[in-house]
Amino acid sequence: MSVEKTQTENTKQDTPPGLNDPVGIGLRTPYYQEILDVSPEVGWLEIHPENYFGGGIHRHFLEQIKHKYPLSMHAVGLSLGSAHPVSQEHLRQFKELIDRYNPFVVSDHASWSTSGNAHLNDLLPLPYNQETLNALCRNIDITQEALGRTILVENPSTYVAFKDNEMSEYEFLKTAADKTGCSLLLDINNIYVQSKNHGLDPLEYIDNIPADKVGEMHLAGHTRRIAGNNEILVDTHNREVCDDVWDLYAHAVRRFGAIPTLIEWDQDFPPLQILIDEAARARNIIRANSEKKVPYAAE
Amino acid sequence: MRLNNIQESFKDLMLQPPQALETPGEAFAALFEEGDIPLHERLKVYRSNVIGGITDALIATFPLLKDLVGEEFLRDMARAFVIQNPPQAGCLNMYGAGFDTFIETFPLAKDLQYLPDIARLELAINEAYFAPDDESLSAQSLSAILPESLPALHLKLRASARLIESKFPLDKIRAFCLDPENQTVPNIQAGGVNLLILRPKLDIEFTLLDDDELMALSLLQKKNTFGAAIEQTLQAFPSFDLPAFLQKHIALETFQTLWPNRLI
Repeated sequence: MSVEKTQTENTKQDTPPGLNDPVGIGLRTPYYQEILDVSPEVGWLEIHPENYFGGGIHRHFLEQIKHKYPLSMHAVGLSLGSAHPVSQEHLRQFKELIDRYNPFVVSDHASWSTSGNAHLNDLLPLPYNQETLNALCRNIDITQEALGRTILVENPSTYVAFKDNEMSEYEFLKTAADKTGCSLLLDINNIYVQSKNHGLDPLEYIDNIPADKVGEMHLAGHTRRIAGNNEILVDTHNREVCDDVWDLYAHAVRRFGAIPTLIEWDQDFPPLQILIDEAARARNIIRANSEKKVPYAAE
Repeated sequence: MRLNNIQESFKDLMLQPPQALETPGEAFAALFEEGDIPLHERLKVYRSNVIGGITDALIATFPLLKDLVGEEFLRDMARAFVIQNPPQAGCLNMYGAGFDTFIETFPLAKDLQYLPDIARLELAINEAYFAPDDESLSAQSLSAILPESLPALHLKLRASARLIESKFPLDKIRAFCLDPENQTVPNIQAGGVNLLILRPKLDIEFTLLDDDELMALSLLQKKNTFGAAIEQTLQAFPSFDLPAFLQKHIALETFQTLWPNRLI
């Protein structure tokens, strides 16, 4: 089942400024005041909607910031890959935020975090088989139905691989997008982490994702962690994007065009200028590698 | 193994002590590809993210506890709590309910009898911080109500209002924690305190309450009518000064507007 309402239709209702610059950064608490004070030159801001459930100071800042930047809402708590259905209460709170702040795009992950009554607050791995695909598609359907719009679903970083995978990760994501009408959020750092942790070819991954399925890209830093005599790359969002990932990003831009791209940084927050510099680097790569216009641009 | 069982087993393993990762059970271990890196090392990354991330979120709610017992001690208590009481919702803003009573049972904290009440205070502050925004009742609005309508009125407290009753001087302990210059340790036997925690707009306000005020506010919060709450309070405290009570709490913005949806 797919939801008919497209993102383009949603964008036409936007009250915030249109998206003229494809590169955004994460809006996190340490940057609230500085972003209001200096209005950094970035195209848009991303929030984790869960941080704005309820009222108080976070909403107070968002009320002001929403007039200056287009917003994206990147959820971390829906647990789309759970064997059980998505929480209706979580969806209700998410919808209330969407109705109030009118993001140009909403997304979550192809992973799970909730089992039974426990929410583990992490992006946990899924076996790529038919049963998981059915569960994921059912939860994407429920979410798109409740939110009244299509969502983007992000590829994860994983640290284990399941033996009974019946398909590759990109086939799994592509099929989920076909079945539900959702689009994909390609995290280029996650593709790199997957390639190192599981011995995959990152270019093959990118080249097998249909260009019309990708609505956004993410860029982030990772950490190398020693594990026995080897190392595991962990998706930590706490440092600059590495050179290999920038190269992969250039390749992805050539394939997918100048689509919205986020610089993610979620812990060990640096001065805001570092994020602005990373955004500028992404923008330069887009200029050098893409002829395409930015989707969602203001008319 | 079905997806539901895989996720149940994975969850159970995450909530076990770290050494359990070495022996996850044959059926579970058989789910995964064997590579150069042992399975327990791979699972360790997840466990560290899960327990570390939730613990970080939890201890961020308790800066006073951190100041009083130190980060290491707080983190030990928090980690033990997380394993027994993982979050139940995909939003962690309000996570931590029950940490106060958990501390009561934490062996190493048993001599620090005031700690659970400090945890209760910080849970109330956190709840007030994330409570839905609402508007307060003005003096004009209250005076516009006909006197004969007052007894049947349901006067609601603001969504952020939390009432705390403690046999320890929580206000003095808090002041001590907040002032790094202050080296005078408060006497925890100096008597208890009633507190109203409230977020009128953006900032949390702390107000000391007399016993009669606490009772009246508590009855109103439990959805008694204004008439019933005042009558019961007067029975327990014949000297309860209703006009002064109303004046004080209108000024503090303790009550919610009676017309939350009016168009003005």
